[in-house]
Amino acid sequence: MAPIIKRKVPAPDHVELWVHSPALAGATPGQFAHVVTQGMLRRPISFSRLDVDTGNAAILFQVVGTGTRWLANQEVGTVLDILGPLGRGFPVPDAHRPWCLVGGGVGIPPLLAAASQWTGAAQTRPAAILGARSDSLVLLEEEFRQLGHEVWVTTDDGSRGTRGTVIGPLARWLAKNPQGQVYACGPTAMLSAVVAISGQRGDVWLALEQRMGCGVGACLACVVFGNGPEGPGYRRVCTDGPVFSREELIFP
Amino acid sequence: MNLAVSLPRGLELKNPIIAASGTFGFGPEYASLVDMSMLGGISVKGLSPDPWPGNPPPRVWETPMGLLNSIGLQNHGVEVFCQQDLPFLRDIGTRIIANIIGHTVDEYRQVAARLSREPGIDALEVNISCPNIKEGGMSFGQDPDQAAQVMAAVRLETDLPVMVKISPNTTYPVEIAEAVENSGADMISAINTLVGMAIDVKHRRPALGGITGGLSGPALKPIALRIVYEVAQAVKIPIVGMGGISSAVDVVEFLMAGASAVMVGTVTFQYPRRMQEIVAELPEIIKELGFDRLQDVVGSALPGKSNAAHVMEEECQLPRPNGRVL
Repeated sequence: MAPIIKRKVPAPDHVELWVHSPALAGATPGQFAHVVTQGMLRRPISFSRLDVDTGNAAILFQVVGTGTRWLANQEVGTVLDILGPLGRGFPVPDAHRPWCLVGGGVGIPPLLAAASQWTGAAQTRPAAILGARSDSLVLLEEEFRQLGHEVWVTTDDGSRGTRGTVIGPLARWLAKNPQGQVYACGPTAMLSAVVAISGQRGDVWLALEQRMGCGVGACLACVVFGNGPEGPGYRRVCTDGPVFSREELIFP
Repeated sequence: MNLAVSLPRGLELKNPIIAASGTFGFGPEYASLVDMSMLGGISVKGLSPDPWPGNPPPRVWETPMGLLNSIGLQNHGVEVFCQQDLPFLRDIGTRIIANIIGHTVDEYRQVAARLSREPGIDALEVNISCPNIKEGGMSFGQDPDQAAQVMAAVRLETDLPVMVKISPNTTYPVEIAEAVENSGADMISAINTLVGMAIDVKHRRPALGGITGGLSGPALKPIALRIVYEVAQAVKIPIVGMGGISSAVDVVEFLMAGASAVMVGTVTFQYPRRMQEIVAELPEIIKELGFDRLQDVVGSALPGKSNAAHVMEEECQLPRPNGRVL
């Protein structure tokens, strides 16, 4: 049970809700909250902010259907029924080697939670490559700047930053940082392109989204195709992920 | 109030609430969220002789008061289940029902034989009704002869209590239930999901990777109740009812319609502890409705037993205070 303590609309049809819940605040970045809305299923939403000291956590989501619309309309004081933190989050990067975060649209929020925890230890300046359809949908840019990241912004229509996708800046960053570690979250097409451009290098981590049922590995609804311990097969986003290494996934 | 349920071949449940197959994994997944020893039983996800990969995603889609799924019976096969999952399940303090699936009669037979050699399995549930596979599965559940063949083959391999899970995707579910009763089934579980589909209008394609899927959830409940009510009048063996149960009152509806126990599924995804809550609430609700024992609730709305019928009989026979007989 997690009461909403703050609500913000960072972009059109995007809402960030802060809740007080020490259990959730202790999540690993990349893990998710499984939130009761309406209808038959909970909604898996990743954490944008995690603060163990205050016991507060925030989720940032896009309004895409009736469940998220209901959630977007909840006000401060409403107590949310949240299961979590669930899933496997991002592994902490090697602080001695450079790392960069690559986020597309509503894939950006979990990268902020990661950046907030990792930046202090980083021996090199981290990069955040943020992509969106257009200017108003670039999420959390200011937060990454405040953390001291080198921030690159791309938009599909060129209304902000560089026109194009996150892949252009990522290619340049990878060229400069052959030992770099990559953490990405965004639409499947973006993740597929991140994998393609990062070649055979290790340390590429991807946070996936999939329509989900139970959230605890029982129903086998939220699968993606990948490499498991027993060879190629479906893997569960909820418990095997949502964060997978590049080697664990097979993109069509 | 004692909620214990006695079913054929010595299958004793501490209460009538069983986790429905496909919604509770192979056992360990919900261990941190649910006190499994509170449940009457768990029906594990369907087991085939060899691993089945399942259907392409997306595999779930919400509908008004319902859920479409097209998992495609993904499972790691009966052998891995016996080695990996069963040791955990043996110690959790509830009845374990193994749901079995196959493409052919012989595959059902193989799984039944394998499971019958394992301690820790309390009953089998023969799934002849899954709408999410192309061959076998549901087709066995649409033809009384094929359904009987599957049941007869399973019966030869096991002395365990066996329930056959019947399909709503047939015009005459009662005929299927009668056919499997005659070939040795100890119980009927009813019902599996109802085949349906949804369209993803944004992408102009069927919403599920498997094109069609099985509808579960409260949307299914009236259909499930109707089938339980019909089957209860046609067979002598007990029925385990299911379809959209979300509350203790829903459970009572199924019991009154003729089910001796129930399975709870889709609601668990949203509220993992709902089954426990139902177990806790059930005694009071049953008592409030005027029953002293759980078994008295079973079938109490069936023709000839229902309260409405009693009232009518009494009114017809008893003289009214003014002396007139109605």
